[in-house]
Amino acid sequence: MRKNRIIPIVLFKDGHVVQSKKFREYKNLGNPLLTINRLSEWGADEICFLDISRDNNWQGGRSDLNERTPATFLEVLAEVSKVAYMPLTCGGGIRTMEDVELRIKNGADKISLNSAIFCNPALIQDAIKEYGSQSVVASVDVKFVGDKYKVYIHGGQTCIDQDWKDYLRRVEDLEVGEILLNSINNDGGKEGYDLSMLSIATSLVSIPVIACGGVGEWEHFRSALTETEIDAVAAANIFQHQDQSVYQAHKFLFVHGINVRPPRLLETNYLKVTTNELL
Amino acid sequence: MNYCKKCVYSSVSVNLEMSDGVCSACKTSEVFESLPKDFWDMRRKKFEEIINEIKLNRKSEYDCIIPVSGGKDSYYQAHKVVTDYGLKPLLVTYHGNNYLPEGNFNRDKMREVFDADHLVFGPSVDVLKKLNRIAFRLMGDMNWHAHCGIFTYPIQIANKFKIPLIIWGEIAWDISGMFDPDDFVEFSARVRHEHGLRGFEWNSMLNDERDKLVEKDLQWAKYPNDREILENNTKGIYIGNFFKWDPNEHAKLMNQLYGWLPSQTPFQRTYRLMSNLDDRYENGAHDLLKFIKFGYGRASDHASKDIRAGLMSREEGIEMVRKYDHVVSDDLQYWLNYVDISEREFWETADQFRDPRVWWIEKGQWTKFDIWGGSSSYGYHNLDEVSLKRYIR
Repeated sequence: MRKNRIIPIVLFKDGHVVQSKKFREYKNLGNPLLTINRLSEWGADEICFLDISRDNNWQGGRSDLNERTPATFLEVLAEVSKVAYMPLTCGGGIRTMEDVELRIKNGADKISLNSAIFCNPALIQDAIKEYGSQSVVASVDVKFVGDKYKVYIHGGQTCIDQDWKDYLRRVEDLEVGEILLNSINNDGGKEGYDLSMLSIATSLVSIPVIACGGVGEWEHFRSALTETEIDAVAAANIFQHQDQSVYQAHKFLFVHGINVRPPRLLETNYLKVTTNELL
Repeated sequence: MNYCKKCVYSSVSVNLEMSDGVCSACKTSEVFESLPKDFWDMRRKKFEEIINEIKLNRKSEYDCIIPVSGGKDSYYQAHKVVTDYGLKPLLVTYHGNNYLPEGNFNRDKMREVFDADHLVFGPSVDVLKKLNRIAFRLMGDMNWHAHCGIFTYPIQIANKFKIPLIIWGEIAWDISGMFDPDDFVEFSARVRHEHGLRGFEWNSMLNDERDKLVEKDLQWAKYPNDREILENNTKGIYIGNFFKWDPNEHAKLMNQLYGWLPSQTPFQRTYRLMSNLDDRYENGAHDLLKFIKFGYGRASDHASKDIRAGLMSREEGIEMVRKYDHVVSDDLQYWLNYVDISEREFWETADQFRDPRVWWIEKGQWTKFDIWGGSSSYGYHNLDEVSLKRYIR
């Protein structure tokens, strides 16, 4: 039986890694290369690297740091892909086939598309034709408003006028490899995933669904993997709050009998890599 | 460059995010101040659970490590751990040879007033002088050795003595607002490496043309790898995550209870008397370099904190910035003598680290915007023709 994956998400905004709360509050955590190198060494199954910059507000690096962040997102991606020793999904700001190609060329193994599903479905089809379904992840942001779930695009800013269940079926019909399903309400809330949203979604589609939004403790991974049919668990902020986080998450789930890989550390010395060889 | 509406930070301040005109540090501080009593009661209980667990499985010779400089925060950590909860910690100090007299007094008094053993470690002064010079040239900060020693040596000792728990003090709630109180962060090697050490490790110090160091000189600077950390189960928690952190109150309380002393003479670059007594440059030449790089200094940090704590209005804060941030303090001469560097070399090197988002050159002088409006000049530049171009607007 296929293993359940643990997927750290790294949010990138205006030149650095950020924490996100409710798609509104952002906090600067620093250098993407160091962050991803660490997650990689702690044995993440995959990494999802999302550019959520909205306006052109790139903050260049300081001149007194050893590790500088490159000047464009694509250069950052190219550097990041060298320290990600597992599949790397890249998303954010992908509008044309050229955007897709540039991301694959700069080291992404998969691309994640969100607004394009609604605005430009032909792009999804072209990307799948070129790179295969397994390379295309549909990222869907869902918000519970009033008494129903609604789909939002443009970084949670625009609500679309379509039933969310129909939307998920339509996403599946596009033949994407999997769906990254995020709850806007739960984002950064630490109260756990929206389990009912996940249950409904997994009963609607047969492609893998990756749960996202709201993890505050490892137990939340366990409850989603035991109570719903999701295929993988993703989270962003929690992996930044303690060292060896991904390792500890694997350990917790493994010890609790969940079908994940046993915890492992990669044999690279992070400090040596970052200070000598990498840059 | 714009300024936070509430405090005196600019958008260029280190690791800050600005949105709707308010900085992330002010936002975090608001969250922090609004935490109800229940929150802190729950946190205290969590701390007591950790303490009880230690008391139940006392395996190591010491119950925990407290990294201390001897400052008000060190005293507060020891006060909680020893006086309030009766643990037997090992106090560990990195001594970078920059203590002020009051700092010496406070540090050495710790094992008189607390029932705790105290390990004080200092690298060779010759190595320290070299590190001062190397790091100054490499990153415009003579105090890299201190950031490195403070954030490395206690972890080495934890692993050597098989003491899993390290109890740190303040979590940087309000320095840049990187984390929220409910994030409950632990000590992180990434934050140490990137923000504490600016991405430079011991091996970055071996390649200097003028000052030669070898690996043996820097054993104290090597951070244990993930495997070693996991084997010992080493974990660093912040006491600021469990008890409401109020530095002004702590200083008063520690003075009353234990005779802890603030600085007896005023600093030239800030109005606060209770901070950084373990390192004469932290409120002096080291901080001047922050002003040179990013256009603000300790007075901005302290005023921003005090504005958030309701001890100062923003207008009063701006006056502090105007009075202190640009001052070239006398300890610069002390440092130049200590490391045998000329004042000319100091300014030539320092100017290479000016942040172009902050500084430009006008009529040969360094110029920047001021929080009180308009712009001012802050002395002649020392750059060559090529480097100069970055700063012409």
